[in-house]
Order: sequence, then structure tokens, then C-alpha cells
Amino acid sequence: MLRRAPGTIPFSTEALKANLLRLQNEWETVQASRDRDAIYQYLSAVFELVTWWDREGKAGKRANRALHLRGYSSVREAEPFAAVILCTADRDRVDERTRSKWSRVLRYAAEFKEVDEPLRDFVKRKGGINKCAGRFARRLGRYR
Amino acid sequence: MDKILQDLVDQAHEAAGLRRNGVHEAHDLVSTELLAELEADGDAMRFVDAKGKIRWRATPDLRQYLKDLKLDARDDLKDL
Repeated sequence: MLRRAPGTIPFSTEALKANLLRLQNEWETVQASRDRDAIYQYLSAVFELVTWWDREGKAGKRANRALHLRGYSSVREAEPFAAVILCTADRDRVDERTRSKWSRVLRYAAEFKEVDEPLRDFVKRKGGINKCAGRFARRLGRYR
Repeated sequence: MDKILQDLVDQAHEAAGLRRNGVHEAHDLVSTELLAELEADGDAMRFVDAKGKIRWRATPDLRQYLKDLKLDARDDLKDL
């Protein structure tokens, strides 16, 4: 009989689609909100998804699957945060520069945030979205 | 696993046991199948908890749906 721990349940294509749809809904909620901090709700959802993909060592592959599902072709392995944002946020409102900035913020948080600290609190404590993106470039020496 | 998902898994386990005339299916198997199904339907999601472990919880959509059901039931009771 199949015995599998809940943590090792395969991540099906249907599950990937459902997760992308959930993030799209988060994005739409943010767009409908007047709260300046609403963006953190969306970024937290992106962060949470990619974090568990990464914990399983499959963030790059799953990001590529997501891009493929959305009709984007990627030759090299995609940066997972940027890929998920590309797949779930409105491209007319989030240009490449913004996507890259948010991706740097999330990579910085992935590196330095304590797991139990909310993303919004961490980013604000570090001076906000723009400062965090800058910190990523300085601390981790990469710039995209 | 959060309480909402645990309740759903327990209910599915009970139902599986009843369907098979008392031959109880392994709880692990029922929860594995149900979690995969709930995830594909957008009702369950995985996340990394404060200890760094991958856990499961109900999605905001399922939580909202259950909350609405509860409110509807409360309104129905008021109408009686």
C-alpha cells in the first residue's frame, strides 16, 4: 500500500495551475485596494510559494514549468521569484524593471529574513522595497 | 496541517472506511490523496513553517467559503 508523508506528495500540473491562479487573485485584490501596504500581501504570497519550492530544491524547475504553462519560453533556468511574478501579475502594470526590483527584494528576504517574521515587517525594518532591492545588490553582489 | 484540513482528512477517512464496509483504509493514504486533490482544486496549499518544515493549510479561498457557509447557516437559523 502506498505510504507517503504529506510533505512528499507530488506537485501536479493542476496544483501548479491552482497556485498560480491563487496568486493572480491576490494580485487582483491588491489592485482593487487603496492600502499602500497591499502590495506586501501579493509579494508575501509569491515569497511563500517559491520558498517551499526552494525547500524541496525544485524552485527553478517549477518556475520554468509555470512559465511554460503561461506560454513563455525560457532558454536558461528562470529566476523563480521573477518568473512567478511574470506569470501572476498584470504585465501592463508591472514592467521588467519593477519585476526585477521585487525579485531582488524577495531574494534578499530569502537570504536574511527569519522564517517567522512577516515579509512586510522585514522589508519595512530594512527601509522599504527600494532599499531592500539595493541591499540585495550590495550584499549578494548580483544585479538583474 | 491546520484544523480545517485535518477535519476534512478525518471526514474523508471515515467515509473511506464506511465505503469499504468497515475495512479501514490507511489514514496516510486517505490524507495523501485528499491533500493532492484539495491542492489541485485550489483549496489547500503548502508553506514553510517557523521551524523550516513544509506544512499544509487551507487556502484563503477555502477559508472564506467556510466562513460564508457559517454566516449563511447563522442567518438561516435566525429566519426559523
